[in-house]
Amino acid sequence: MISVSVKNASVRYKNHVLFENLDLTLPAGEWTCLLGQSGIGKSSLLRLLAGLLASDGYGDIQCSDSQNLESRVAYMAQTDLLMPWLSVLQNVTIGAKLRGNLDQHDIEKAKILLDKVGLAQDSNRYPSALSGGMRQRVALARTMFEDKPAILMDEPFSALDAITRHRLQALAVELLIDKTVLLITHDPMEALRLGHHIRILGGDPVQLGPAIIPQGKPPRPVDDPHVVELQQEVWQQLAA
Amino acid sequence: MILRSIIAGIAVTLLSSTACIAADKLTVMLDWFVNPDHGPLIVAQQNGYFEDLDLEVELIAPADPNDPPKLVAAGKADIAVSYQPQLHLHVDQELPLTRIGTLVATPLNSLVVLEDSPIRSIADLKDKKVGFSVGGFEDALLNGMLKKHGLSVSDVELINVNFSLSPSLISGQVDAIIGAFRNFELNQMDIVGKPGRAFYIEEEGVPAYDELIFVANNESLTNPALPRFLSAIEQATQFMMNHPNEAWESFIAHDNALDDELNKRAWRDTLPRFALRTAALDTGRYERFSGFLLDQGLIKEIREVSSYAKELTVQ
Amino acid sequence: MQSSDNDTITNSQWRWLVRPITLAIGFIVLWQLVTWVTQAPVYILPGPGKVLDSLFNNLGLILGHAGTTALEIVLGLIIGTLLGIASALCLTYFQPARHWLLPVLVVSQSLPVFALAPVLVLWFGYGLASKVAMAVLIIYFPVAAACYDGLRHTNAGWLDLARTMNASKIATLRQIRFPAALPALASGLRVAAAVAPIGAIVGEWVGSSRGLGYLMLHANGRMQIDLMFAALFVLALLAISIYFLINRILTRLLFWLPETLSFTD
Repeated sequence: MISVSVKNASVRYKNHVLFENLDLTLPAGEWTCLLGQSGIGKSSLLRLLAGLLASDGYGDIQCSDSQNLESRVAYMAQTDLLMPWLSVLQNVTIGAKLRGNLDQHDIEKAKILLDKVGLAQDSNRYPSALSGGMRQRVALARTMFEDKPAILMDEPFSALDAITRHRLQALAVELLIDKTVLLITHDPMEALRLGHHIRILGGDPVQLGPAIIPQGKPPRPVDDPHVVELQQEVWQQLAA
Repeated sequence: MILRSIIAGIAVTLLSSTACIAADKLTVMLDWFVNPDHGPLIVAQQNGYFEDLDLEVELIAPADPNDPPKLVAAGKADIAVSYQPQLHLHVDQELPLTRIGTLVATPLNSLVVLEDSPIRSIADLKDKKVGFSVGGFEDALLNGMLKKHGLSVSDVELINVNFSLSPSLISGQVDAIIGAFRNFELNQMDIVGKPGRAFYIEEEGVPAYDELIFVANNESLTNPALPRFLSAIEQATQFMMNHPNEAWESFIAHDNALDDELNKRAWRDTLPRFALRTAALDTGRYERFSGFLLDQGLIKEIREVSSYAKELTVQ
Repeated sequence: MQSSDNDTITNSQWRWLVRPITLAIGFIVLWQLVTWVTQAPVYILPGPGKVLDSLFNNLGLILGHAGTTALEIVLGLIIGTLLGIASALCLTYFQPARHWLLPVLVVSQSLPVFALAPVLVLWFGYGLASKVAMAVLIIYFPVAAACYDGLRHTNAGWLDLARTMNASKIATLRQIRFPAALPALASGLRVAAAVAPIGAIVGEWVGSSRGLGYLMLHANGRMQIDLMFAALFVLALLAISIYFLINRILTRLLFWLPETLSFTD
């Protein structure tokens, strides 16, 4: 397990500065949920960590084991990013295929993961035949297949209906153990249910608010008193 | 009295002018773009021989040389400049065409090789490439020529080069070309510095024939404009014989673009080959050529020459 | 009681045959009508009876030439497709190529093929090569443009995913960009299948010793218009067959692409 920190992060979009001099630490093995208004720069911050921002972003990224974060992240987006010409199983193992070292061991591993997300029967089906929730579960399996210490998730559940979202949130917490997770969400309830630390990005100039640390283990039930208690604080920071 | 003369005078003027307005129209389709082979037609036009005979002649050059006989057969044109060999094939396919006059009374077709080619006789064509343009009967001509030397078309490779006869020979893509007109292609090659050598097909076993003829639709043979047309052509041919230089001036007066080295040379070479008796018909010649085509399997039967070739009475 | 749909001719298994046959019959009827109405002489537009007669009498001859033309078309399609895809890859990965190659692509499309044909014949000779070259020339732009279009519009999300998975450029191309570009490429290939025959035939018209185009010219010169139309008919059949074959192959390859037309039966 590693903790990840970025110091002095700054991101530009075209000629407009989104934010600068931002510091964020993702504690090892825990879920950090990042909240904020649309367009404030949450995704950009995540993309910076993922290495997806070329010249538009800068930040001093460090990991607790003094190695690069590069190639040690698994990425999950709002859309499942499943490739329609590949079967469910092939989608899960796409990382190994891309790296050129796919073997039988990987295939077995993928099957086990699909079983964990409840899609053991569907490994040979194609994405177009699956529902949104099922597809995002495949994406989850793919993320786990990568077996990387850091997971960066950009609103992975926001496109799903409430019930499916609820289930998938619980599944993700159950399966992504001992991973350092950054989850971006626009839903305060999701942050409160899943996060060990909640940070809110906002203000002018854009800054990260202080960490809100709910008590209890995620996934917290909706009527958990800690959750209810902190809702107000979260909304306050958001509005500021 | 004076009034009557005036009225008579006006009437005569009107009548003669309506006679001019009522000049017979003829559409004549040429076989190819205007070239010295069409000398008599152009000279007749330029010197006013058509006009003198109350004819309004429109000369049209075709996009596709295969079209003119078809158009005349379909009634869309009055006269076409065509080839005697083609006429035999057309008539065999039941096209309602009749030869009414001759423009060029000798074959112009020849087999041409490069001057320095190793081919010295027809027999040397064995296993060689021969280019031809679309005439539909080059194999027959070639077969006739090869037969004399104990060969046949299966001993040569025939390649359709469409109308790129000279270029294909000059570039060496083929060893010989057939369908080259001796007055045209030979001069063309000489001008670009790659002279050729010709084998004249009528000297190599093919019966002599009229290279260029006039054909008309069977239904129109009683049209009095046709014999007048032939008369004007004859007159023009005469003029060309008697006054070759002036005739050339008339020719290039039709279109400045005609005045080039190739046409000059072709004019000189074609002059002796025009039919001096435009309307006259040599029945025997047509019979012999039919026999030749039947032998080569190009036509199904021999027909009465009078059914497809006539001498129209000149008025 | 279950209806006997499975036994009647409306069963989809036979449906694919019924429609083309109906079309063919309708076409022949229309053709005959046109010849009657226009009173076209047989040496300009022969009726279907004469043409089919000529077709059966000269079947060996026509099929022999058809084989040559078919070979020219298929080779042209293969080479043109490879060249087109290679160019599209060039344009995708080499910036300077966009300045230099793109104009060449466009020009190749707009120049009338028959004007270039004699030049190609001069370079490639009168054999198969010049006809193949013509077919290649005619399909080069549709294939290259379609493929390039597909390659440059790959879903950004997939590319992001590949980046985070540490994929090399080549791996990304092979596993993501290219498969994602296949639908666009398929459109280009369908156009290519339809126009490649034109290239082959024009090539034959300019100079050849074999092929359906050659046969048509020859028959035309001999005033055997029924034979010419018979050859034309076979050419049409050949072109249609090649198109449908390629379409079938593409549909198989793109099995994963959902079609959103709604069927009413």
